[in-house]
Amino acid sequence: MAHLSEAFRLSGKDYLREWRISGSFIVALAAVLGPMMVLFGLKFGVIGSMVDELVHDPRNREVLSQGSGRYDLPWIEKMAQRPDVAFIVPRTRRIAADMQLASKVSNKIINVELIPSGAGDPLLEGLGALPSGANQIVLSELAAQKLMVKSGDTIDGSIARMFRGKAERQHLDLKVVVVAPAALFNREAAFVAVDLLQAVEDFRDGHRVASLGWDGVEAPGERIYPGFRLYAKTLDDVAALQKEMIAQGFQVRTRAEDIAVVKDMDRNLTLVFWVIAVIGLAGFALSLGASLLANVDRKRRELSVLRLVGFHTGDIILFPVLQSVFTGLVGWFLASGIFFGVSFVINKLFADQLAEGQSVCRLLPEHFIVALVLTIAAAVIAAMLGGLRASRIEPSEGLRDI
Amino acid sequence: MENSTEALVARPTDKVLIYHLRDVVRTREAEGTAFRLRVPSLQIAMGEKIALIGHSGCGKSTLLDMLAFILQPTESGAFRFRPERTDDPIDIAAYWDKSRQNRLGDLRKKYIGYVMQTGGLVPYLSVRDNMSLSRNLLQMPNNDMAVEELASHLGIRRHLDKFPSALSTGERQRVAIGRALAHRPSIVIADEPTASLDPIAAEKIMNLFIELVDELNITVIVASHAWRHIKKLGLRQLSHRTQRTSDGKLTETVVTG
Ligand SMILES: Nc1ncnc2c1ncn2[C@@H]1O[C@H](COP(=O)(O)OP(=O)(O)OP(=O)(O)O)[C@@H](O)[C@H]1O
Ligand SMILES: [Mg+2]
Repeated sequence: MAHLSEAFRLSGKDYLREWRISGSFIVALAAVLGPMMVLFGLKFGVIGSMVDELVHDPRNREVLSQGSGRYDLPWIEKMAQRPDVAFIVPRTRRIAADMQLASKVSNKIINVELIPSGAGDPLLEGLGALPSGANQIVLSELAAQKLMVKSGDTIDGSIARMFRGKAERQHLDLKVVVVAPAALFNREAAFVAVDLLQAVEDFRDGHRVASLGWDGVEAPGERIYPGFRLYAKTLDDVAALQKEMIAQGFQVRTRAEDIAVVKDMDRNLTLVFWVIAVIGLAGFALSLGASLLANVDRKRRELSVLRLVGFHTGDIILFPVLQSVFTGLVGWFLASGIFFGVSFVINKLFADQLAEGQSVCRLLPEHFIVALVLTIAAAVIAAMLGGLRASRIEPSEGLRDI
Repeated sequence: MENSTEALVARPTDKVLIYHLRDVVRTREAEGTAFRLRVPSLQIAMGEKIALIGHSGCGKSTLLDMLAFILQPTESGAFRFRPERTDDPIDIAAYWDKSRQNRLGDLRKKYIGYVMQTGGLVPYLSVRDNMSLSRNLLQMPNNDMAVEELASHLGIRRHLDKFPSALSTGERQRVAIGRALAHRPSIVIADEPTASLDPIAAEKIMNLFIELVDELNITVIVASHAWRHIKKLGLRQLSHRTQRTSDGKLTETVVTG
């Protein structure tokens, strides 16, 4: 133990006494590492917020059925069970999926499309309420503005049909449970439970809707849905789901390609970054290694004196290793300082284009740790060569150096 | 040319032998010529003061380096070291054979002080730290004023906090002597410790050195080419003879004592 602590103390003193040389290596390291951290911070910040946006916008996980297909309830239920599916609701025929809405406070009567929703709908997630039953509705912001209503209000919904030669109209009191902001959906529309959509379709088709007391003929057999709304569990599931469904002959549309573009960009930029990082760190390690090797030759005599007084081979190897670890540590510290300074300026420059809390250039704590570990590893590897050289010095040779 | 001389001091018979060498050889070769140091027999008792006097190049440093375990003998019939009266002799030849460098380093650390012709100080350590180098490695206390006292004896107390670069050559030699003695080794080996000084300073420092060694009761081996004043100090001189082969390619020094 005395050996280790003495090796530590002496190499530290040597390092401090040669502060000019030590300092220039610290600066050289920071000059390589600092910009590298800024570069990675930019990559991480820019691509990271792009990926974040992708992940957080549920529309990117949407798998939309296209055209008119034929899906039955067992198929829908089977899909809902899949681990890569977060949410699925069947939709009824588009032509029968609309409704006239009116409110007491507005003189406008609007016709909105009805979108099926239900428990677990990722699009409405976070709004605090979902429509259920035949008397609840979620209005899009545009529709709510026209009707001049807010959540909690009750509006009138009506549908009309020609049945047995005469026009009929049914009215429903609908409670607006929540208003979906335009950022989520920017058309005049309403989200309703599948039950309500089916009732509307049945009514239009002249079928009886027992639950609402609407008269008509008995519905024939099993219901076939022309489409569905599906959300994959994660972004990564989208492409596979799309591929599988197309293979099954279903027509679907996703944003898989947009996702792929961002992901490719992320991957390629990461690759470019690593190439730069490896070249930079390797260059630094080489120059540090060469200088430590030269150092050992320069300090042959001192190292011999240390061997003479009884330092072990291992202690002698420790000298250049400890010194380059000091360099790595302080250089990393300085580089982190450079990063904080530069990233502050960059983020300030882009502040106008950024949302609150977003940054163009940022790193996570673990990135700093990785940078430190890589730097120390490079420094230790560089120093090993010098250390081995130092350990081979025969004391009697070194002592009598001219 | 020096020749073999009788022992100046009678050797007591009941002595513990700190060094016991038999048939130890070291050969050094450089550019076609070779030098060989041969030690048929060498016995140094604990507490003895030994002088090794010879002209430049006769092999003094070669012998001292082997005695300090920093130079490996080419051959050794026996090479035993017994620094503690109560312990068995240590087989140094076996350590060399097994490349136990760290073990040899430990022996040096504990039992040997080495003074070189010049320098041998660590430039980034203060005089105090240089003198405490071995003491610190041995985890000896540094609050007992031992270093200060030694520095006072050597007349360098006021330089304790300076760095070696700020000292004169003579002062540096005093520090080197101080470092070799500070950890109270069993033996001090000094390779021409005063050769780089003017004769007056050299004599003064040599006297001081021998005085200190006497006082601390440390065995000493000192190499020198200045015969005159060594003689006055009453050291036992090792006898040696140097021969050159007829073709001039091999020089051999034989040391006994
Ligand atoms: N590293 C070496 N390689 C080859 N030969 C060497 C080496 N060091 C010394 N020698 C040779 O060994 C011989 C003895 O050298 P050594 O250093 O022991 O002499 P010395 O008696 O200490 O001389 P000085 O009084 O000048 O210090 C010399 O002839 C020298 O040429
Ligand atoms: Mg010599």
